[in-house]
Parts: sequence; structure tokens; C-alpha cells
Amino acid sequence: MTSEHNTHFGFKTVSEADKAKKVGEVFHSVASKYDLMNDVMSAGMHRGWKRFAVEISGVRSGDKVLDIAGGSGDLSKLFAKKVGADGQVILTDINASMLAVGRDRMLDAGLSVPALQCDAEKLPFPDQYFDCVIVAFGLRNMTHKDFALAEMQRVLKVGGRLLVLEFSKVWQPLSKIYDIYSFKLLPLMGKLLAHDAESYQYLAESIRMHPDQEALKKMMIEAGLSKVDYYNLSAGVVALHKGYKT
Amino acid sequence: MFKALVTHLLQHLITQNSWANALLQPHAGKAVQFNIASIKTNIIILENGGLAVAGETNVADATVSISVSLLLRLITQDEAAKMQIAISGDTHLATELAKVLSNMVWDYEDDLSKLVGDVPAIKLSQLGRETVANIKQSSIQLAEMVSEYWQEEKPLIAKKRHVEQFNADVDKLRADAARLEKRLAKLTQQFQPSYNKITSENRP
Repeated sequence: MTSEHNTHFGFKTVSEADKAKKVGEVFHSVASKYDLMNDVMSAGMHRGWKRFAVEISGVRSGDKVLDIAGGSGDLSKLFAKKVGADGQVILTDINASMLAVGRDRMLDAGLSVPALQCDAEKLPFPDQYFDCVIVAFGLRNMTHKDFALAEMQRVLKVGGRLLVLEFSKVWQPLSKIYDIYSFKLLPLMGKLLAHDAESYQYLAESIRMHPDQEALKKMMIEAGLSKVDYYNLSAGVVALHKGYKT
Repeated sequence: MFKALVTHLLQHLITQNSWANALLQPHAGKAVQFNIASIKTNIIILENGGLAVAGETNVADATVSISVSLLLRLITQDEAAKMQIAISGDTHLATELAKVLSNMVWDYEDDLSKLVGDVPAIKLSQLGRETVANIKQSSIQLAEMVSEYWQEEKPLIAKKRHVEQFNADVDKLRADAARLEKRLAKLTQQFQPSYNKITSENRP
């Protein structure tokens, strides 16, 4: 357990004020090679997980979508095609380096998606504005996950959906292999490909500290969402949670 | 990844059958559980009128149950079988979804054309249709031959007219037995008082 002003940073305990700074450093460090590393680490599966999240979102033409911790903009790109010219997608990230990667990719793809640097715990949007809010591989890095979920719920319209795509608890028989992969292979790949073993060590540790499927479902319900359900993807390596604002 | 794959296929089918969107959208967020033989699958309706396999903890709003024997009858397009599908919960939702699923058509020619081009796609589709029609025709002929052999050469199956005759005979026998029973009852009632009198007189 952490004290009132302390929190987790991977397996380490740090002050809440330091966590955002340290997470920021990790993502400044990995930003330029984030896509390459994602592809290597997940064997390209992260693209399938994201496509599935977009399919499950039920987003249609004309909808307003908020992509939180959108980083390199993979999801914003997919959503922009779904909502069309009548809709709106806003890409946000707390990290300027990651946001710059995403913004450039949107421009290169000829998509008009506003990129906004903001903290998910204090979203600069009015109440009941979005039809869909999504956070993919970002919630585990947030200092106060409960505040962030409550904010996401606040900006959703009634009937809107919150989707959380995040690493989760893997199917028990695979946990040993997954541990070896996470704590031995992942930092090694980080060292070889991004010359940054420490950041990838943090990624592996932060995955383990993140709430499992049922715990996250409970947190979403506590944040005011209803009919919360989740999908285990790739044997629970990743879970997609979906909840409604009613 | 089974759910992701089935969801992708369902969404592809919905895209090809866009008429279904308007029917499904009013039921967005609701789920129907299909129990077909021993397979259970929850299908959820999405906000854009699409379909997806529901998640791990979904609670269905309606249930549709189809046994194996009923499934076979439905495949052979037996209209009477549709009346025997068991539906519980939100029956309007389940009926609407079942109607959409049974009327959806897979435009495989269109999908094929994206892979091999228009002309080969049409030719391949024609070939496929002809092959299926030939297999269907051959299967019917084979079934007829086997049925004839079991009826004429080595009687294992009764002919329809024999079964009907047997049923009529059973009905006639049942009616005769009922009539006889009534007659016996009437006779018993008629002779009961005199029988009672004789027996009481002969008592010591």
C-alpha cells in the first residue's frame, strides 16, 4: 500500500508529484521509436487490438470522439475515418513529445485532427460533449486513475461510451512465459532497439501494477459508468473495457 | 481472438446489408444470447447499428434457444421450424435480431472481386454456385436412391401410404374398442339390479 501522497512508479514507490515527471521522462525517451517498439513488443498485435476497439466503440458518422493519451495517433487516425467530415476527433496527450509524433502523423495522413496537450485528470472540455472517449495504453501511467475516469465520465454525453484499452492480467497458464518475456526480453529489446532498457523495464513493471480486469471494471462503475463489460484480447495480455454513461 | 474475428465478420456483413442498421439502432447497447446446440454466444447491438460478440461479463436482455434437430430443419428452410424457436426475455429485441441475422446476405462476389478483380470474381462465383447446385442435386438423388432401396429391396423404412393405412387402422380399432366399452357399460348398468336381486335371494 502507498501512503496518501505516494504512488507507484512501476515497482517503485514515489511521491505523487514525482510520478507525472518520471512518466513524462519515460515517454520523452521512447517517443521517437514508440511505433517500432510497439510493433516489436506485440508482434504487430497492437494494431489488431486498436482496430477491435474502434469496431466495438460503435462510433458513427458525425460523432465526437476524444482520444486520451493518444500518443502516436493510431486510434485518432482510425476514428477520423469513421466520424467523417461531420464528426470531430480530438487527440490529446500529457506528453509533448508523444503528441508531436501523433500530430505529425495526422498531418502526413492529410487528416484535420486537433492535437491538444492536456492532463486526463483535468480535461479542458465541457460536460457531456463527447459521444465516445477512449484511452489506450495510457490509464496505467496516470497518477490518480479514479480522478481520470471520473473526468472521462464527465465529458461524455448521456448514452456515450468510455473505452479503456490496457494491458491486463494474462491467462494463468501463460503467466510464467509472460513474466520471462516482460522482465527479461522486453528490457533487452528496449536496450537493443531504443537504447533505453530502463524505460522498457518501467513499462513491464507498470503493467503488473495496473488493476486487473475485474478491478478496473469496478473502478469504472465507481466512476459512474454503467453496463461495464470487458473483452480479453490475446489471452488477457490486453483487455478492452467498455462502459456507458446513463 | 475468436471474438475479435467473429465481430469483424459481423461488422463486414452489416456493412454489406446496410438496411439492418436502422432496424438495430433502436436496440443499441442490448444483447441477445444465442444457445445453438451446446454453443452459447452473446451478440450485442452497437450504437451505430452494428453487431459484435459481447464481452466476458455481459448479461443478455433476451435468449434464443435452438436445438440441433431444430437447427437442421431451419437449414433446410422448414418454415414450421421457425415457430419452435424458444425465445425468452425481451422477445421484441430477440425477434428483431433473429430476423436481421436470418435475412442477411453475404455478397461474396463483391469480396472476391477486391481480391482477384471483377471478371474472375464473377466466373468463380458462377463456378461456386454451379458446384453447390450440383452437390445439392446429387445429394437429393442419393437420398432418394437409398430411400427406395430401403423401401423396396430391403424394407427398413415403411412407405408413406403404408404408414397412413396403419394409422387409419389404429384409429378404427381405437374407435371400435371405445364403442365396445360403452356397450359393456350399458349392459352392466341394465342388468345390475336383477343380478343384485338374485344374489340377495340366494343368500342363506
